[in-house]
Amino acid sequence: MRRLLLLSAAMAALALPMTAKAAEPIKLGVLEDQSGDFALATIGKVHGIQLAADEINKAGGIAGRPLELVIYDTQSDNTRFQEFMRRVLQKDKVDAVFAGFSSASREAYRPIVDQLNGFAFYNNQYEGGVCDAHMIVTGAVPEQQFSTLIPWMMEKFGKKVYTIAADYNFGQISAEWVRNIVKQNGGEMVGEEFIPLGVSQFASTIQNIQKAKPDILITLLVGTAQASYYEQAAAANLHIPMGSSVNVGQAYEHKRFKPPSLANMYVTTNWIEEVDDQKSKDFVAKWHKMFPNEPYINQEAENSYLAVYLYKEMVERAKGSTKRDDLRKIVDQGDLCVDAPEGKVCIDPKSQHMSHTIYLAKVNDDHSISFPKVWQDIKPYWLGEAGCDLTKKNPNAQYTPSNPPPKG
Amino acid sequence: MKRRPLIVRLLSRLEGPQTLGRGWRFWAGAAIVLAAAVVYPLLTDSYTVGNTVYFFNWVFMALGLCLIWGYGGALSFGQTAFFGIAGYAYGVITLNYGADYGLTLWATLAAIAVAGLVAAILGYFLFFGRISGVFLGIVTLAVTLVLERFMAQTAGPEWHIGSARLNGFNGMNGMPNLTIPWPGEDGSLVLAPDLPLYYVVLALLVIAYLALRILVNSSFGNVLVAIRENPQRATMLGYDVRKYQLASFVIGSALAGLSGVLYTTWGQYITPSSMGITAAALPIVWVAVGGRSDLTTTLLGTILLIGGFQALTIYGSQYALVVMGALLVVTVLLAPEGLIMALALLPQRLLKRSARDAT
Amino acid sequence: MFDAIFGFLYQFGDASAFLVLCASGLAIIFGMMGVINLAHGEFIMAGAYTTVTVAKLGAPLPLAIVCGALFAGFVGILLERLVIRHLYGRPLDTIVATWGVSLIASQGTLILLGPSITDVSTPLGSVQIGALSYSVYRFVLMATAVAIIAALYLLFNFTRFGVLARATIQVPDMAEALGVNTRLIYSLTFGIGAALAGATGGLYAPTMTLVPTMGSQFITEAFVTVVTGGSDVFLGTAPAGVILGFIRSVMTTWEGQLAGQIGLLIAVIIVIRVLPRGVSGLILRERA
Repeated sequence: MRRLLLLSAAMAALALPMTAKAAEPIKLGVLEDQSGDFALATIGKVHGIQLAADEINKAGGIAGRPLELVIYDTQSDNTRFQEFMRRVLQKDKVDAVFAGFSSASREAYRPIVDQLNGFAFYNNQYEGGVCDAHMIVTGAVPEQQFSTLIPWMMEKFGKKVYTIAADYNFGQISAEWVRNIVKQNGGEMVGEEFIPLGVSQFASTIQNIQKAKPDILITLLVGTAQASYYEQAAAANLHIPMGSSVNVGQAYEHKRFKPPSLANMYVTTNWIEEVDDQKSKDFVAKWHKMFPNEPYINQEAENSYLAVYLYKEMVERAKGSTKRDDLRKIVDQGDLCVDAPEGKVCIDPKSQHMSHTIYLAKVNDDHSISFPKVWQDIKPYWLGEAGCDLTKKNPNAQYTPSNPPPKG
Repeated sequence: MKRRPLIVRLLSRLEGPQTLGRGWRFWAGAAIVLAAAVVYPLLTDSYTVGNTVYFFNWVFMALGLCLIWGYGGALSFGQTAFFGIAGYAYGVITLNYGADYGLTLWATLAAIAVAGLVAAILGYFLFFGRISGVFLGIVTLAVTLVLERFMAQTAGPEWHIGSARLNGFNGMNGMPNLTIPWPGEDGSLVLAPDLPLYYVVLALLVIAYLALRILVNSSFGNVLVAIRENPQRATMLGYDVRKYQLASFVIGSALAGLSGVLYTTWGQYITPSSMGITAAALPIVWVAVGGRSDLTTTLLGTILLIGGFQALTIYGSQYALVVMGALLVVTVLLAPEGLIMALALLPQRLLKRSARDAT
Repeated sequence: MFDAIFGFLYQFGDASAFLVLCASGLAIIFGMMGVINLAHGEFIMAGAYTTVTVAKLGAPLPLAIVCGALFAGFVGILLERLVIRHLYGRPLDTIVATWGVSLIASQGTLILLGPSITDVSTPLGSVQIGALSYSVYRFVLMATAVAIIAALYLLFNFTRFGVLARATIQVPDMAEALGVNTRLIYSLTFGIGAALAGATGGLYAPTMTLVPTMGSQFITEAFVTVVTGGSDVFLGTAPAGVILGFIRSVMTTWEGQLAGQIGLLIAVIIVIRVLPRGVSGLILRERA
């Protein structure tokens, strides 16, 4: 009798920590703008994370542990990112954070992530160049979007290119990429115009474009104010074929403006709602079941969704550890991949950025979308080639083509 | 008659007609609050300490605006411009020259000096041009926006001062924290947002508050208030209104610069958005709701508002901004001299009312 | 040559029309009544949203714009009765109150109507002049700006209401002593200012993105134009709009949009420095 009691006590004692550990949730911080100027493009991101978390928890969690979300509304304000990143890492003690839409917000919170030794995912397209071991970037970068878009458009429409871009880091660096790729393909830049954020009246820009008579117009407009360009250009009868890496896929202008203002526009994106293979259709269906009022599922929303599964994959391969160094060892193995709605995507160990399927979306006259071409497995090659190697060194910095990593 | 020593004269100015609070009861209360502020961080976690430092950082700007607007009567939308100028100046100096030998402290002083110099030039332009009232507000707003728009597009590599890239809209990061140099083995004390930084900022806050009290209760403060009440009368009494306005503008803007440097070192980041139109309106809102005509009410009101807004954002999700807006409207309607001021005057008012009812 | 000159004139007209239309409602509310209305952008947004909603239901655009203006005017009157009427003579308090209203309005719209609504197309197509094509609707906007200023002038100088309004605002006690219902006059004048902002929103709605924060694209321009104009709405705001529009279009043509924006702001600083009472102060002094 006594032996039985002792045995059952011992078994209970052994079982107790295991069940306690199994119940202990993995906490994921979510810092996204749910109000303010950027809310249009970012509300979907939170929903994507919630959908993924819900699915994962129904299927048993990550390594048997449930996934718990700690969500803060950063109000499109950089100072809120600083406040809440600190809070989420020090007070809520989350295991990882999904944060940021604008590059300014990322650069605002990166010093805090570095200082507090956190682990952050940036699930947004941006201008590229972040070489920081504390960050995983799932968003698309210029070399993925422009190395596919520009040669295709130049072959179809001609060699003369005009760029209008938002006058800040993302716009200027993207325009630099466009310039380089146009030159590499034997084309000619007939004009470049940079427009400050928040400008909504484009009379002068429209005139300049008409005077330059380009074959292709690359539009890198950011923010709801600048999107007014499309309506004003269409009203002035400007119908040059347009290309973009950021419009349509992020702020769904083709749904918000009446046809045919965005007709004849070509966008390279890693996924949008209109992708019509069966996998994407199923994904959209289950999204709408959980969020019936979603105005649009953009590429950032899909990035956020797949990032949760990427994190799950990482943690399970690390045998349930959420320590950043263990997870980075998995990344360094070089074959960390996930089956996303866009297709199979993998993390590049040198830059901790993600390879993507790139869809070329064409906006038709009635604003429906067709996909003339799809590129599989386009890698984020630039940072690795330029000298950023996070398997060896962690500079915690952001580089650009004109400010590359120092040699040696 | 022998003049009292300077220190006694200064200390006697801690109380006066321009500031609320006098007598041993007030100072005892203040001492208790200070003691609580000193002990509190030892009892809470690192996050709360860092977060409280974050609140304190903004108070200097509010105190500066209180001086310029509450006491001087000049509405300046330019506080965030000097916030940004000082922040960037600190960033440029420390990114170029590093943090050794107490350079961060010199950089702080230099950054505040730069902000003060720009304020002096701008102030000369404004006050000696007899610009006042709402025109002053618009011009200072225009200056702030010009700075913001200009800095937002400095993203290219050609925009750099020494080895510090201005980096446009994405902002400048990577500058070192404030570092107090210490010889020997232990090395310097890096003031990351934690206990040591908390005490340094708290000390700065106490010094600034007391110094401002002395300033506004002195003859300078009296003239400033006279100018606020009736500039023509002050001129006729022989005071050069422009000089007093310029002086208060420079001091207030230097305080905003101090806020800028502290914010930049706290987060190791400064961005043009800190000078945008929303950011420019915030100090006005804090000071107006707290009670702009007095330093103590501004101090308490600002901390309460910033903390309150943050708490609302955390717990109120998408309704936070609506509640904030409603709070502002209600405050202006019910307590136009400011919330804290109304609370402070409440006992007086109740006493008066009960005295009236009694007779 | 012709293209360059006409192109420039078009930009000049376009920029000036934008400034004048932005500023017209605020000129009444701020210039005449002394209320610093930071919710001006939200009146514009209200007008724009209403216009687009009504137009999508099938109404012709001019009717929809009138509806937008009426709705904004109605909201303005409501706001005046609830909040603003307690704040006359306290301009700096109006800053905080209207800032609060602006937060409530833009965030409330986000919560109720979502992050954006779909647009209506710009009407009237385009016209080819010289080597370039222009949107006809922009010419309509320019004409409307002129018409609105003219209508305001006639309203406030040649109608009974206009005279009463100016009297009430300049010397309220006297007006009340003479039997004028000053409370009603204040409400109506504020409502007219709000309706003008709503009309601006409705006019520009077919050409812009419709988001709850769209007011922020108008408010800076509105304030700098009104203040540069000075205290008299008709002598000041219209000339200020034209002068600033000219400077902006010159700078934009010369060096691009950034120069245009910064040039506008610097021009404001210089004009106020040279004319501390604004443009109307200069004109009034010349007259006297």
